[in-house]
Amino acid sequence: MTRLWHWTQVLYLLSCLLSVSWATKGNILSFENTAIVRTVELGGSLVAVTTTYAIQAVTGDTSEYIVALSEAEHGVTSWIEATLKGSVDPLQLKPLGYKHDYAAHLYSITLPKVPVKGETTSLVLETVQTKATYPWPPSSPQGGEQLLKYESDLLVISPYVTSVQRTKVRGPASIRSFTTPEGLGAFTDEPTAVQAGSVVTYGPYKNIPASANPFFAEESQKRILIHYEFNEGVLTVVKLQRAAEISHWGSNLNIENQILLRNTGPTLKGHFSRLDHQFQGHYHSASAQSIRSVPMLLPAGINTPYYYDLIGNVSTSKFRPSRSGKSRTLQFSYLDLRPRYPLLGGWNYSFTLGWDAPLSDSAKWDAKTGRYIIGVPYWTPITGSYVEEAEVKIVLPEGATDVEVFPPFNPLTVNRTVHTSYLDTTGRPAIILTNTRITDRHTGVIYVTYKVPFTAHLKKPIAVAAATFSVFVLALAARRVDPRIHK
Amino acid sequence: MPDAIPLPRVAPETVANTTSLLRIIALSLISGAAIASRLFAVINFESIIHEFDPWFNYRATRVLAAKGFYEFWNWFDPTAWYPLGRVVGGTIYPGLMATSGVIYNILHGLNLPVDIRNVCVLLAPGFSALTAWATYMFTKELKDASAGLIAASFIGIAPGYISRSVAGSYDNEAIAIFLLMFTFFTWIKALKLGSAFFGTIAAVFYFYMVAAWGGYVFITNMIPLHALVLLLMGRYTNRLYVAYSSWYAVGTLSSMQVPFVGFQPVRTSEHMAALGVFGLLQLVAFSDLVRSHVGSKQFRTLLRVALVASGILGGAVIVLLTLKGWIAPWTGRFYSLWDTEYAKKYIPIIASVSEHQPTAWPSFFMDLHVLITIFPAGVILCFKELRDEHVFVIIYAVMASYFAGVMVRLMLTLTPVVCVAAAIATSTLFDTYLDVHEPEDPSAENSVPVVTVSGESHVGGTNVTVTTPAPAPTPSKKAKKAQAQAAAPASSIASTIAEATGTAGVTTRQDRGVFGLGSRLVVVALWVYMLLFFVVHSTWVTSNAYSSPSVVLSSRNPDGSQHIIDDFREAYYWLRQNTPEDAVVMSWWDYGYQIAGMADRPTMVDNNTWNNTHIATVGKAMASSEEVAYPILRKHDVSYVLVIFGSLIGYSGDDINKFLWMIRIAQGIWPDEVSEPSFFTPRGEYKVDEQASPAMKNSVMYKTSYYRFAELYGGNQPQDRVRNQNLPMKGPTLDYLEEAFTSENWIVRIYAVKGDDELGRDLKVANSFNEGKKRKRGRPLVRRRAVAAV
Repeated sequence: MTRLWHWTQVLYLLSCLLSVSWATKGNILSFENTAIVRTVELGGSLVAVTTTYAIQAVTGDTSEYIVALSEAEHGVTSWIEATLKGSVDPLQLKPLGYKHDYAAHLYSITLPKVPVKGETTSLVLETVQTKATYPWPPSSPQGGEQLLKYESDLLVISPYVTSVQRTKVRGPASIRSFTTPEGLGAFTDEPTAVQAGSVVTYGPYKNIPASANPFFAEESQKRILIHYEFNEGVLTVVKLQRAAEISHWGSNLNIENQILLRNTGPTLKGHFSRLDHQFQGHYHSASAQSIRSVPMLLPAGINTPYYYDLIGNVSTSKFRPSRSGKSRTLQFSYLDLRPRYPLLGGWNYSFTLGWDAPLSDSAKWDAKTGRYIIGVPYWTPITGSYVEEAEVKIVLPEGATDVEVFPPFNPLTVNRTVHTSYLDTTGRPAIILTNTRITDRHTGVIYVTYKVPFTAHLKKPIAVAAATFSVFVLALAARRVDPRIHK
Repeated sequence: MPDAIPLPRVAPETVANTTSLLRIIALSLISGAAIASRLFAVINFESIIHEFDPWFNYRATRVLAAKGFYEFWNWFDPTAWYPLGRVVGGTIYPGLMATSGVIYNILHGLNLPVDIRNVCVLLAPGFSALTAWATYMFTKELKDASAGLIAASFIGIAPGYISRSVAGSYDNEAIAIFLLMFTFFTWIKALKLGSAFFGTIAAVFYFYMVAAWGGYVFITNMIPLHALVLLLMGRYTNRLYVAYSSWYAVGTLSSMQVPFVGFQPVRTSEHMAALGVFGLLQLVAFSDLVRSHVGSKQFRTLLRVALVASGILGGAVIVLLTLKGWIAPWTGRFYSLWDTEYAKKYIPIIASVSEHQPTAWPSFFMDLHVLITIFPAGVILCFKELRDEHVFVIIYAVMASYFAGVMVRLMLTLTPVVCVAAAIATSTLFDTYLDVHEPEDPSAENSVPVVTVSGESHVGGTNVTVTTPAPAPTPSKKAKKAQAQAAAPASSIASTIAEATGTAGVTTRQDRGVFGLGSRLVVVALWVYMLLFFVVHSTWVTSNAYSSPSVVLSSRNPDGSQHIIDDFREAYYWLRQNTPEDAVVMSWWDYGYQIAGMADRPTMVDNNTWNNTHIATVGKAMASSEEVAYPILRKHDVSYVLVIFGSLIGYSGDDINKFLWMIRIAQGIWPDEVSEPSFFTPRGEYKVDEQASPAMKNSVMYKTSYYRFAELYGGNQPQDRVRNQNLPMKGPTLDYLEEAFTSENWIVRIYAVKGDDELGRDLKVANSFNEGKKRKRGRPLVRRRAVAAV
């Protein structure tokens, strides 16, 4: 546990050490980018960026490859993962922090082996950006178009020399306008931006020097702006509070999510007219701006899902359960979650969604160590949205000891508290993990291991029995006491 | 003595033990039935607070649970009655909230994290079980335990009581009926025993009742009335003196601790009867004392003079105090109890409430079914015995019957006494017909076929029987009389009496009666059949009529499944989530509590109708044209206007149907500006179609209700499904308000009040400019200039 609490410090120290070692070696010459292709998939709240680096080992003395993200890019990046092309196993990725010399946030990727001199490798860096888009115009009348703007750097920066790079921006529907950068004669002699359908291609840009430095950022880097149409809801989960409660007696895992949802598309200009809304529903295709329902994929095998808000049950939704079984990775329970009212631009809706699941689906007892292992998914994604503030609380059974937590990615804070619930005497240990800006790629499982002594299991029945017994004793005594003064 | 069927010989202790066990089981089953039958609302809908007033109680309870009792006591709610605010702690009966708060804290103390909403929702069913128990105790004092059990089962499922105590009906009545019955029980007990202890317990429960419900005045007048009648019947005893004095002194002093009641017990006319009887009892007690010391002849003169003098003096003092203003005269609500037309004339706001209307005849049957027909028989049986407690039931029956006829909601106070009296009658019938003993003379059996069913009350009255199939100890009439004279506690020695009178009953037994086993079974079976129908009826009424939360409406889909119409919560939740927290919402007062509870927004008026002028202001704004209403809205910082509109799906409880009351109440304050007749057509009809009067068509209420409604019909004839009228093809237009939200079925419509025009124009002018219309006066000028230019 101590390790977890202090992981940030440790990592920081580690990164300092690494950067020092790296800087002293002067590995700026150890690699060369033969080609970089960046693909930007524009979305509503989320933008997925895939950058493929074709690299060539120049010196062949290190397996550490460095990628750089400019300040602006790093600010919007919520999730980052590096793989070898054609492989699914992520490579080790260490943040090295912001470096003034490079004017960028650096990440070091450890290749599986030290490449031979001249060997080429393809690296794929996937990032998910949040808050990278904004509605423009910022407000739109009911039934109007939903237009968004995406802003980004034109050139992928790298501490190494790059032979050629290009950037593709793919819009979900039509692209209204895009920036055509000028003054790039040093790198290209062709027209720098070409639109084909809903794809805009920038580049190719050739012979780019080591670009992760303040000089390049000032002189050669350009910003691009894409104005595009988006025909799905732009949803943001402003706040998510998830609580998982484990009950060994009931063999039940209860998961409850308190969600504040907001339509972060263009805000509604003027007011909402039900008449227009109904006509849109009947005669035209529904406007992207008014979100009538939110499809959600819940785990298989869950039962008694409940969906309510501050003033009671919301009965408008449809739920299709799926039994848990062998193929449960493929099947989900489907919930067509309908807010009480359609969510128009800028509107909020807060609600609670919870369900019970059989504990055996997510917990196991390890006979060797005598420990329970339980896996709790970090969150249940709402398609196309991200969470601004997330708090996940895992409530373990009363009397659980030796608790260890293994989160799938590093949380912002980890706290331990005591949660007192049904007929508890000493309370249940609880772990609270907090995070910000969780995307649909943050879908890992939090593993928790703990021990529960046999006596702890008996705590509740004994407490209840003792209380009941004492009531009977009191009643027995009361019946036998005569409070009369005169007889 | 021959028996109709052979009885097994059992030891008396076994009988007593079995009886008490059976009684406990029966009471638990009755409690279970009482609670279960109130859960239809939860099963058909959900665990939700119902209707209007409960939403306020719920909100107040949440404050109590979250912030503690002192914060609650001193709570000033600035969001109600905007901009006046409301001192909540001093203007409510806190008993209900305190009860839930205590239950909530106990549960949380036991680490049972029950939501406060569920405590509130299930409070009424829980207390109905206690009511059944209190009724059992009360009836046991009147007759015996078996009558008590029958009364308990009656009150447990009687629709008249269920109507105000289903799960979610979180109102004062939820706990008040239990308190009423328990106070009456302890009063009877105190009177029987002459016990100051029970008198004080009665006072404590009276205090609880005062803290819980405004209907405590019923007890305040019932007990003195009972005491007075007993006095007049010449039944003054020291027991009466002790019981009444201890109840009145402790009860009145403690009731004055409730801030909302304060000094009313000594300063208002409603409470004067209790004070008067208290004084009278002191006089009588004093004269009793004097009589024991003075000779009887002088005493009689002395008594007469003293009584007359003190009576005149006391009356004069009260009249004087009333004239001086020290004692408040009767309130309007009280007058409306005697003259049903009073409220309509002078206080329209009281008359506008549907539950203040006189009761329709069918609702007696609806609420009490067969009990209402047995009820008189039970009262007559009370006359037969006429002990002190029977006098009480008779008075209660008479008073409650009258009040129930005057006001629908007072059906609630009638229900317990109907259950008690019906139980006495039913129990007596069962006692008579299930008696296994047969007369010794076999020739008497010949007369059996002659006796008809119509003679049964006579038979039941004269033949006093002892045993029941469940061998409950039942004191006979004669024994009871003797016992009443001896002023001995009845219940504690009931079993010994039953044993002792087993033989006495036989000696007084007459030979006439229905003794054939078959005839008896027919009567009993018929009766049971009737009672079974009562159960069926109660269940049906409860599930169909009384279990609707009215916040959520329900209809049926073509395939028979339930379809929930949730417009109210949709709109309220929208207000809660998407408007500024200080946005004032103006609506008719019916929805004030719901808006405060569900939308959490300030309201101008709500269901606590304490300020008639403020309500009339809202009425005026709704009844006037937009130009007149707009300054009113702006002056009161109103951001949103909320109206309920049922024409699309035929929801009849909408604002257009309540509109006449708004007009009447507004007219009461501004007779020059709002007049009711102008809202009717020349032929005196209340219409919303083409022929609607100009005042109607221009009113804010009409405009906001029908705004753009005609467009929904896409050129077809728009129709109002509530009033079954064809609406004009062209709907009203709005200049000063704009539509902000309309719920799915158009039931709730919310309008935003426009701010000032950016160019400082009148909003109407600005609107017509935007629509491309030119000002009428401007047009010729432009034309002339154009001509000149040519």
